[in-house]
Amino acid sequence: MELIRALATLAEPPHPAHAPIARALGLPDPPRPADHTGLFLFQLYPFASFHVGADGMLGGEAADRVAGFWRALGREAPDEPDHLTALLGLYAGLSDAEAREPAGPGRVLRRESRKALLWEHLLPWLLPYLHAVSEVAPLFYRRWSELLRAALVSEAAELGPPDRLPLHLREAPLLEDPRTSGGDVFLRQLTAPVRTGMLLTRADLARCADELGLGRRAGERRFVLKALLSSNPDAALDWLGQEAARWRGVHERYRAEAEIVSRFWTSRADAAHRLLVELAREAREGDRVAPPSLGGEPPAQPTAAGSR
Amino acid sequence: MKNGGREELKRLNERVSAARREAEGRGESFYPGPSRVHLASFPPKERWDDWVELDSRAWPRRVEKRYMLVPTTCFNCESACGLLAYVDRDTLEVRKFEGNPEHPGSRGRNCAKGPATANQITDPDRILYPLKRAGERGAGQWTRVGWDEALDDIAGRIRRALEEDRQKEIMYHVGRPGEDGFTERMLAAWGVDGHNSHTNICSSGARAGYHLWMGMDRPSPDHAHARVILLVSSHLETGHYFNPHAQRIIDAKAGGAKLVVLDTRLSNTATHADHWLSPYPGSEAAIFLSIARWLVANRLHNRDFVRRWWNWREFMAEAHPDLPPDFERFEEKLEEMYSEYTFDYAARESGVEAGAIEAVARLVAGAGTRLSTHNWRSAAAGNLGGWQVARTLFLLNALTGAVATEGGTHPNSWNKFVPRPIHLPRHPDHWNELTWPAEYPLALMEMSFLLPHLQKRSGDFLDVYFTRVYNPVWTNPDGFSWIEMLTDPERVGLHVALTPTWNETAHFADYVLPMGLGSERHDVHSYEQYAGQWVGFRQPVLRAARERLGESVSDTREANPGEVWEENEFWIDLTWRIDPDGDLGIRSFFESRARPGTKLGIDEYYGWMFENSVPGLPAAAAREGITPLEYMRRYGAFEVASRTGALHEDPVPDAEHEDVRVDADGRAFTRAPKPDSPNVVPLPVVDGDADGRRRLGVEVDGRILRGFPTPSGRLEFWSRTLAEWGWPELATPGYTRSHIHRESLEDDQMVLISTFRVPIQIHTRSANAKWLDEIAHTNPLWIHPGDARGIGVGTGDLVRVETEIGHFVVRAWVTEGIRPGVVACSHHMGRWKVTDHGQNQAMATVDLERGEEDWSLRRRKGGGPYKSADADTSRIWWTDVGVHQNLTFPVHPDPISGSHCWHQAVRVSAAGPGDAYGDIVVNADRSGRVFRTWLGYTRPAGRVSPDGTRRPYWLLRPVRPSREAYQLPADDSAGG
Repeated sequence: MELIRALATLAEPPHPAHAPIARALGLPDPPRPADHTGLFLFQLYPFASFHVGADGMLGGEAADRVAGFWRALGREAPDEPDHLTALLGLYAGLSDAEAREPAGPGRVLRRESRKALLWEHLLPWLLPYLHAVSEVAPLFYRRWSELLRAALVSEAAELGPPDRLPLHLREAPLLEDPRTSGGDVFLRQLTAPVRTGMLLTRADLARCADELGLGRRAGERRFVLKALLSSNPDAALDWLGQEAARWRGVHERYRAEAEIVSRFWTSRADAAHRLLVELAREAREGDRVAPPSLGGEPPAQPTAAGSR
Repeated sequence: MKNGGREELKRLNERVSAARREAEGRGESFYPGPSRVHLASFPPKERWDDWVELDSRAWPRRVEKRYMLVPTTCFNCESACGLLAYVDRDTLEVRKFEGNPEHPGSRGRNCAKGPATANQITDPDRILYPLKRAGERGAGQWTRVGWDEALDDIAGRIRRALEEDRQKEIMYHVGRPGEDGFTERMLAAWGVDGHNSHTNICSSGARAGYHLWMGMDRPSPDHAHARVILLVSSHLETGHYFNPHAQRIIDAKAGGAKLVVLDTRLSNTATHADHWLSPYPGSEAAIFLSIARWLVANRLHNRDFVRRWWNWREFMAEAHPDLPPDFERFEEKLEEMYSEYTFDYAARESGVEAGAIEAVARLVAGAGTRLSTHNWRSAAAGNLGGWQVARTLFLLNALTGAVATEGGTHPNSWNKFVPRPIHLPRHPDHWNELTWPAEYPLALMEMSFLLPHLQKRSGDFLDVYFTRVYNPVWTNPDGFSWIEMLTDPERVGLHVALTPTWNETAHFADYVLPMGLGSERHDVHSYEQYAGQWVGFRQPVLRAARERLGESVSDTREANPGEVWEENEFWIDLTWRIDPDGDLGIRSFFESRARPGTKLGIDEYYGWMFENSVPGLPAAAAREGITPLEYMRRYGAFEVASRTGALHEDPVPDAEHEDVRVDADGRAFTRAPKPDSPNVVPLPVVDGDADGRRRLGVEVDGRILRGFPTPSGRLEFWSRTLAEWGWPELATPGYTRSHIHRESLEDDQMVLISTFRVPIQIHTRSANAKWLDEIAHTNPLWIHPGDARGIGVGTGDLVRVETEIGHFVVRAWVTEGIRPGVVACSHHMGRWKVTDHGQNQAMATVDLERGEEDWSLRRRKGGGPYKSADADTSRIWWTDVGVHQNLTFPVHPDPISGSHCWHQAVRVSAAGPGDAYGDIVVNADRSGRVFRTWLGYTRPAGRVSPDGTRRPYWLLRPVRPSREAYQLPADDSAGG
């Protein structure tokens, strides 16, 4: 599957050798290194664990599950087993191996491996992820994301749907109610996509600040969120609730292509929407101080997207 | 989908496949391979100009700090790992150092010593201004002077010496150079054969073993891709290229590689080993030969590699002229030669069970060409004949064909890139017998540690003696003889210590000139840390930061603290003062090309080098719209080649074939001139043929290949050099029984291992790092519980350790981590000062006395808290800073490699009532006697030279003199 291998390569930091690959795919000129850094290191981290992990952080159980998949295939898990390019490369490799295999049980087995990779570790996060890319990325990566999405959807159609919800999503915990679990926990969970059904990028939070006329703080996302919620709790909660509703619509749009995944994410976004709207209402009415009580010390400031 | 449906995707898939086939058909790579930025580890380089972090000290307040991230290279050990200095944009101060992810060797990772550079640059005890001695040498009285005064004084003496043909009276003595060739070229430009390195107390034993095999003198193992890694020493925790190698060894282990460690101590490295062998010191070569014998006897060696690349024909012709020179006969002879080296024999010599050795042999056999082996110091630096340890270790690579293969051991020069500089000087026309005495014609490097003895013997005078980031009084064996030399104005006219920090040797200097630390100086370097080539750039980070802000800095002193300088600018300035008019013919090597007649500046020096001598760098810089110098100032390193390999297998290009002649031994010669290379990495100079052709390569199976830079062009199992220069019995790899072999010891003697390091200190360079000092500041004597019981001591008790020339008193650490019959004491620690000048946090204050027969050094005061500009110094909780054992070691020069043989035969007893911690006593006469005894082991050039020269010309040598200077003198002064 040369197409997917090529698309994986183009998600690596720009390199002169990318130009002929981009040309072959009819993509625009490769981007500047700063564009790559901006997208993959500051806005949308290309790791499965970040998107389907319980804490919205790199590593953890989600990454272990992916590493286990590599090992189950008899392969050594790379340093970053759940990185987008590693997973796409693996998919391309499995596809090639399947093509080389003579018809028979061996080929069926390889096809099943490929299908498992697609539905267990790629589609559960990539469909919302690639949508988010299309919203914030410069032209090259927008076109790249459209092409990758089309290729993955085509693969899904070819391989057929899975029997049940992927394990990452089965294991994903819900967004907890801050009225019972506290503001700090809520803040952490707001940046975990698999709990809220929405991908909150730095750009989204900047948009929130602009739309609400609030100060835009520089820093890690939880710090920015905390600043927004402290400045104007009801407006910020309401904005987040509407954002969850917007993401609900995003997830519904790929229902026909990956129904089981779409339903999961839609329900998560819907639940988040309802909770946030309720919290906003309560904040407006002043009968409860919802997440903004976020007491204690400010959250720690990791240098980028957290640490492994 | 905007990109069409399934048919469109199929079409795109085909287009990419076709493009890939086309590229690969041209022999090119289509996919460049992953170069992923690790998200959590490093600030992305696009943001290095303005990086925001929260100030950890302000916690819980959130105070943002804005930094410029400026790369440089660590100066604390020879690994030269990349550092990123975090320069505060508001104050232009360096706040911290972290790893540079753009550095190909260290890949963003550092050991504790890298970040501790922050301690060193803010050390309250550091030397900030040039100092001149005010009283007697060693009295500890100093006057601050200006650079001009110091430079004029030093330059005047050097000029007079050059004018009066006294070049031999100028000497530069260097510890770890930390740079590739600048200073050697400077000495050559002066016409002075005065380079003196520390190497013969360090790695030269092992390097001699490698040099004799392959022409290149260092191993460059590709640990990351090895199946079996075989280390002699605690290399994983403290190796020469510690951090770059350690991370690759761990990578390989994660991939299933097996780690074999030979270390008498249970070091941290040994604890990570799959197979730990704890041999009796000095028996390592016997173990390797037993493995080699087993491989050959079972025909498990790589027969094709041996047939093609060993100089076995030469061996057969010389050693067995009566036999037909066929390969099968050679294999029979090979097996016969080593037949006595059974596993049982090795077990008897080493004390390691035969079964354990055999298990390692089986691993080696199974590694194929993925056997990476490494020996730097350790056993090779400890024993008489230590060079045979490396030679027999490499024999395993040579037998398995794991030479310059993926996962094998490469020659260093193929994984190193030394860019050609703007000027290349001439060769000095004289020979310095103080550093290259005739008794040691095969010494790998200068006989540096014998200097006081050689100088006393010859009566030669040193008019100007530089010690540069080197501390021979402390580091070398027999340090009292150094004090005698340095304090005698009849022996040393002017001693200039170039150092960033106080040390024991600087105490006896006439000038102490402050030189920059890793973030305060320029250097280029390239080290053979993996199967690739890179160039690293050390730079004064505050200068670079100010230049990024648009300022112009022409003298690094403007950016460094106090009047701390850097060596490049210092040497250029000094040279101009030595030869202000150019009439000595020296100045021209330090003149600008862009503006002839003016002084060469640093920007031009490195700018020219990066523009003209580093392949690929100009193009990489152009892609970012910057100059090559700007690229290196921005990223600090550049990888010239990511995969090197078996260069000996490379065919020689047709352009170099001109009137080619191949001799009976398969060596090919050509009349075509040698093409200029931008890489001036040192390589042996092998002779051409009698008709004036130069060496081209070697004929293997009918093809002319590059081969190895040895006299035979092949790997030299049999060394004609050794055979012809007086050591025919050692011409093939063998086992030399050490000076501390059991049979050489008295019944009450033990072996002392003194060379091992701890991972957080580095010789005498790191006493100025408070974090490191807190972690490691003392050096107890490792002693086995059985031995401790025998002398009635427990952990913490004082013991007296008697060497051949004196004794020291230290505390015992009773541990099963050491073999019975062997004791061990790390170096780094035991630093001292006689007066208040020195490092307070890691130096004891001592009384130093010269009696009629004995020298003594007794501790007056240990470490402890003190007030300074750094509040942390008032929190020092330790007083024990270790014991300076090296003072009690006599010189033990190996007669072949020239390496000091560090292991000591000692008597260990409970300390007596008059003994106190840190006591040192040495008898000066006995030290001279030991020197003369070991001198008696040599076979001087005057007696053995086959061609009337001082040294085989092909052997590597720093600041190689002219060919004429190699001729032995006509008189009998060369020991003929």
